[in-house]
Amino acid sequence: MLPALIHIAKKEIRIALRERLIVFLGLIIVVLLGVALYAGYVSYKQQKETIAQTRSEKRQEWLHQGDKHPHIAAHYGTFAFKPKTVLSLFDFGLDAYTGTSVYLEAHYQHEFMFRPAQDHSSMIRFGELSAALVLQILLPLLIIFLAFASFTRERESGTLKLLISQGMSFHTLAWGKILAYSLMLSVILVFFLLSIGLLYGMGVTSEAIPDTAVRVLLLLLLYSIYLFLFIALAVWVSIHSSKSRNALLTLLTCWIFFTILMPKALANLSENIYTLPSMREFKAQIEADKRHGPEGTTPLSVQKANLEKEYLKKYKVDSVQQLPLNFEGVSMQAGEEFGNQVYDHHLGRLRKLFHQQNRMSSIASLFNPYLAVRHLSMALSGTDMYTSIHFEEKVENYRRELIRKMNKDMAENSEYGKFYGYKAGNDLWQQIDDFSYRTPMARELLGHYHLELISLLLWSVLLITLLTYANRKIKPLHG
Amino acid sequence: MDKATQTLLLYEWKALVRNKFQLIMLALVFVFGMYAIYYGQSEIDAQRETIKAMTALEQEEFSRYTASFKEGPETLEQEQTHDIASRPAYAWYRHGYHAILPPHDYASLAIGQRDLFRYYYRLTGMSLHYQLFENELANPMNLMAGNFDLSFVLIYLFPLLIIAFCYGLYSAEKESGTLALLRIQSVSMGKIIGLRLVFYALLIIGLALLLSLMGLFSAGNPLQTENWVPATAWMIGVMVYCAFWFGLMFWIISFRRSSAFNAIIAAGFWLLLLIVVPAVLNVIVTVKYPLSSATLAGLTRRTGLDNEDDEEESKEVIMEFLAHRPDLAPSDGLLKKNIMPKAYAAFTALKDINSQKEVGRYTAQVAKRNEWAARFHWLSPAANMQDVLAHITETDLSTFLHFQDALADFHGEITRFYFSRLFGDKPILLEDYSELPVFTMSKNNKQWTTIWWGLGKISLATITVFTLGLIKMKGDSQ
Repeated sequence: MLPALIHIAKKEIRIALRERLIVFLGLIIVVLLGVALYAGYVSYKQQKETIAQTRSEKRQEWLHQGDKHPHIAAHYGTFAFKPKTVLSLFDFGLDAYTGTSVYLEAHYQHEFMFRPAQDHSSMIRFGELSAALVLQILLPLLIIFLAFASFTRERESGTLKLLISQGMSFHTLAWGKILAYSLMLSVILVFFLLSIGLLYGMGVTSEAIPDTAVRVLLLLLLYSIYLFLFIALAVWVSIHSSKSRNALLTLLTCWIFFTILMPKALANLSENIYTLPSMREFKAQIEADKRHGPEGTTPLSVQKANLEKEYLKKYKVDSVQQLPLNFEGVSMQAGEEFGNQVYDHHLGRLRKLFHQQNRMSSIASLFNPYLAVRHLSMALSGTDMYTSIHFEEKVENYRRELIRKMNKDMAENSEYGKFYGYKAGNDLWQQIDDFSYRTPMARELLGHYHLELISLLLWSVLLITLLTYANRKIKPLHG
Repeated sequence: MDKATQTLLLYEWKALVRNKFQLIMLALVFVFGMYAIYYGQSEIDAQRETIKAMTALEQEEFSRYTASFKEGPETLEQEQTHDIASRPAYAWYRHGYHAILPPHDYASLAIGQRDLFRYYYRLTGMSLHYQLFENELANPMNLMAGNFDLSFVLIYLFPLLIIAFCYGLYSAEKESGTLALLRIQSVSMGKIIGLRLVFYALLIIGLALLLSLMGLFSAGNPLQTENWVPATAWMIGVMVYCAFWFGLMFWIISFRRSSAFNAIIAAGFWLLLLIVVPAVLNVIVTVKYPLSSATLAGLTRRTGLDNEDDEEESKEVIMEFLAHRPDLAPSDGLLKKNIMPKAYAAFTALKDINSQKEVGRYTAQVAKRNEWAARFHWLSPAANMQDVLAHITETDLSTFLHFQDALADFHGEITRFYFSRLFGDKPILLEDYSELPVFTMSKNNKQWTTIWWGLGKISLATITVFTLGLIKMKGDSQ
């Protein structure tokens, strides 16, 4: 059985290589993959350099801002920039659509600014060429062209009957063909792996992703499974089609539906079902809650009064002026924490909406392996929604820590009611570490993608079962 | 119409009605089109709601100010309101004006970049750049997926429909054995193919125009003076674009290869024109004209005078700013009253003047990108068509760049209004409220050049593919 399998595979490869069209398409795809990786690399380097430079400028600006009151320093604040992860050169993911920088200051959470897609004409909505795009959308098409006629051609030319009559089992025939296509595609994957290896040789690394090697291996596994699924699907459809033309049409319809129609339709549907507030509403609600206090909480003025009583009692004095620390700093921090609480409440609601919207396509990925792979690929490349949220959370924590230190310094060192009387200096600015970001580990991220993982497993089991089952039933003759 | 033509068309019609698969496809595309129209409307309606709320807020804010002049201030709050209403020292950074880019009537048909850009701002006299760069809330996953609007259905799905109907026009006859029968008829093969192509062109372009008309009528009245040119351009665009795909199919068919071969080539072209070419152009543009917004981010930093309590420094800043703005006509008491607010106003305005260069460089780079990409639009009639439709519905990048220019001008007017009173030590009077700055945006008529040129380029591509097909067809039959 094994020699027969290899024999079939060899024959299939020979036939495929004789088809000039197929070889030509394969070459185009390899070239596009190369261009995509190179362009990804150049843009990664450009972005990384500018961000590193701007980041150090902002750091210097913070450190050398001169002597001033800590609260003014907290207001002038500083910036955080989203680092380009090294794997983003492979899959740009959401990078064009998430903001890249944010201003950190006291009292307000600013939203991230500048989505790179805004610097393009509407053509950007066709997508940018990335290696992931080539592997996710273009390669399946090559597979379809390779495999749509795998059985129909044999049947149309009558060779299927001959093969079966010579004792060749259907099973061997199907798997031999699958093996052949898999081998041809793995050439392309190997090329991809070599390019990645080359980039490593050139010393491209990134401190933002702690487990790059694991992620690369997982990506390779992910795409191997994805391409196998498409091969199996194409062969299965070919087994079941009476004519090559029908097999091709069915497969092309699946391809369009999976990769173009369904993702867009789902995203839009989710937008209609879970409507987002406008930025204006979002901000207005936060402002209103900050003024009046959200329902069920004590208003800020009452909180501050209570805090004052508590402090007077604790230090056994009768006025704030007698406290050994500046109560303004304490009260400022209480205000900050109150603001954070209000903000967290609203941000939580917004994030929940995002989550509900995205969950629709996660569920849909059970029916569409393309969606599963797209989500997982972004996650492994560090360009997905969860990494982005994780980053935003880290930034916000950094901001809170910064403001807390400023308020603490103000409470400890300045005097009540004498705002201009105190100035902090470089010592205090030094106490704030520079912001640096590391993505969560791949394993932790994949925890958010159970449905996608299940989808790939289900599709593999389904297609293998279908192929085994189909082989027993199909007659080698026309119609 | 001669007898043979009639027979052929009748036969084609019967074949169509009997082919369930084709009918289902037509129905499906029609349903998708309807959904796209509905989706576009719901998106743009949500934007209109936001705009309405914004305008209402502004009216409420300013009616509070004007009311404070009429009633004598009784409570502390009323007194504060009146201070904000009448004293330029407070008013210049408290009064918020709304600058809005209302959607074009047809924006819902081609949403373009409208979901990505801010279309409303509340501007005060404070630093422009501090107010300009805020994003609108959006789910990045959905932004990436893009909009399922009518332009998507027309640009992505109609070519597929055309491919599905045409790829077997000649080869299917060959494969089913009816070709020989057709050959012995008196009508030439070229004419038969031509007629069948015309039949399907009428059918599919008819469907595209029907959907477009439904969209155009439901989104705004195309007979209105400001709408009939965009509506006409849209209809012409739809016809030309579909004609291009029919021409391409004609060329492919003219090679007289098998159905499967035609389908592969056609699908390959679809992939090339709708995915590969735009994606490659996008990535080249990103690499060729690198842009990092990180440099702009710094402009949003809130800063102030180094020594706010130092009066000398404040005075210097005021004088430095006034040197830039001789039109502000300061009063004699310039450096006696309200020094802190004046210094702060001068400081933020100076900051804007200084950062204008950086912002200008950035926008110039964006414009360069746009220009470069547009130069290669002829490579993909699909990208070209998208650009044309986005220009017709004013949802393209250049509209938003134009909006940003208008915002800067408007901000200039706001500061002029308040600064002339602040530095001239004049209060804001009730009658001044009838002369408040109002946001206006000039019509950007340059877009029509892009639109007609774009349509011209698609027409040229259409003529080219038809000619190639004709040459091939003629060459083979001789």
